[in-house]
Amino acid sequence: MRRRPGIGGLQTAAAARDQYRLLGENVAKLRTDLMKEQLATFRSQLEEFARKHKNDIRKNPSFRSQFHEMCAKVGVDPLASNKGFWAELLGIGDFYYELGVQIVEICLATRPLNGGLIDLQELCKLLRQKRKHDREAVSEDDCLRAISKLKTLGSGFEVILAGKKKLVRSVPTELKKDHNEILELAYSTGYVTVDEVERRLTWTHGRAIDALDTLLDEGLAMIDDGHADGKHRYWFPCVSSISSFGADN
Amino acid sequence: MQKLGEFKLPHFFNYPPYFTLQPVREAREKQVQLWKELILDYCRTQKIFVIGLEEEFPLFSNSVIERTLSHEAREAFLSALVSEGHAEWLDKGHRKCLILWHRIQDWAEIILNFVKDNGFEHSVMTVEEIRSGIESRGTEMELLSTACSLEIKLPWKRKEKCT
Repeated sequence: MRRRPGIGGLQTAAAARDQYRLLGENVAKLRTDLMKEQLATFRSQLEEFARKHKNDIRKNPSFRSQFHEMCAKVGVDPLASNKGFWAELLGIGDFYYELGVQIVEICLATRPLNGGLIDLQELCKLLRQKRKHDREAVSEDDCLRAISKLKTLGSGFEVILAGKKKLVRSVPTELKKDHNEILELAYSTGYVTVDEVERRLTWTHGRAIDALDTLLDEGLAMIDDGHADGKHRYWFPCVSSISSFGADN
Repeated sequence: MQKLGEFKLPHFFNYPPYFTLQPVREAREKQVQLWKELILDYCRTQKIFVIGLEEEFPLFSNSVIERTLSHEAREAFLSALVSEGHAEWLDKGHRKCLILWHRIQDWAEIILNFVKDNGFEHSVMTVEEIRSGIESRGTEMELLSTACSLEIKLPWKRKEKCT
């Protein structure tokens, strides 16, 4: 459009902008409509799929995991609510709800022993023992999903990483980076000494003692002064597979 | 699971820090509870009545993990048993401890019931007679020992039903 000087020119420019905007909105609407339609198709196909493979989804953990991924791609969350299509058809909401409750029970039972931090594999093992008589097998992926649901309830549940290992935290205590590093160090033997922490993490004596004492106070570490070499050892129950002792499962 | 003879030891017995008295309150409480249960269980199944703190009691050390309970720890756990009526110190120096798998008041009940069930209400019996009598076969009366019975006589006297 040819630019015109003066007020007329301004009015034309304004009109032009309006028209472009309208056109833009239309295009956007068209795109959105198209997307919505595609998504609707996706959803109905997904629902069809779910109907057909309901049993596989219930019984097979890896199939179930892939199903979740598919749903996530289309923005569908089968666990979003306990009502509605997904919950009714698959009863999947119930499955994860039940899992969540069992996970909470295990974490509470082992909390006096490990301070509220438990190795994910250990948790899964205890979960499977607890569910010995249930038909449905449970994978680590299932545990993680159930825990992420618990997290949205604001119950202080979270999965944290200590090196390559995943730990499930069931207490509101925040683990600082220093604590994480000590846990990682403890993984091979189950314990650390002050010397070790100073040496391998190149920390000052004060920093090491500080971190270890905090871990002791939080109930995540236990002290051992019975070794012949006289050095204090700090043991981390969450890192060993001894959460099962003493607990009433 | 490790065993002491026929007795199955709990997992915590093989975890070194449990042999050190824990400084943090919550951990200490859990530790004391676990040790109390272990000591009672062991004494009950092995029919042990007295523990000498300075003697070689099998539960006080674990050679597999090379740990031994300090004197302080031993006293702490046994004192906890004493506070809940499951043990009694036999001397002021806390060197010997009498373990009561049933508390004294429970023993009195048990003996009373035994006497009633067997119609001994109006007879006079010595502890030895109760312990080794035919009626006692297979009952807890067999487990009465002289040391124990000396303690039980005290609440016994207070009960009016028997002479």
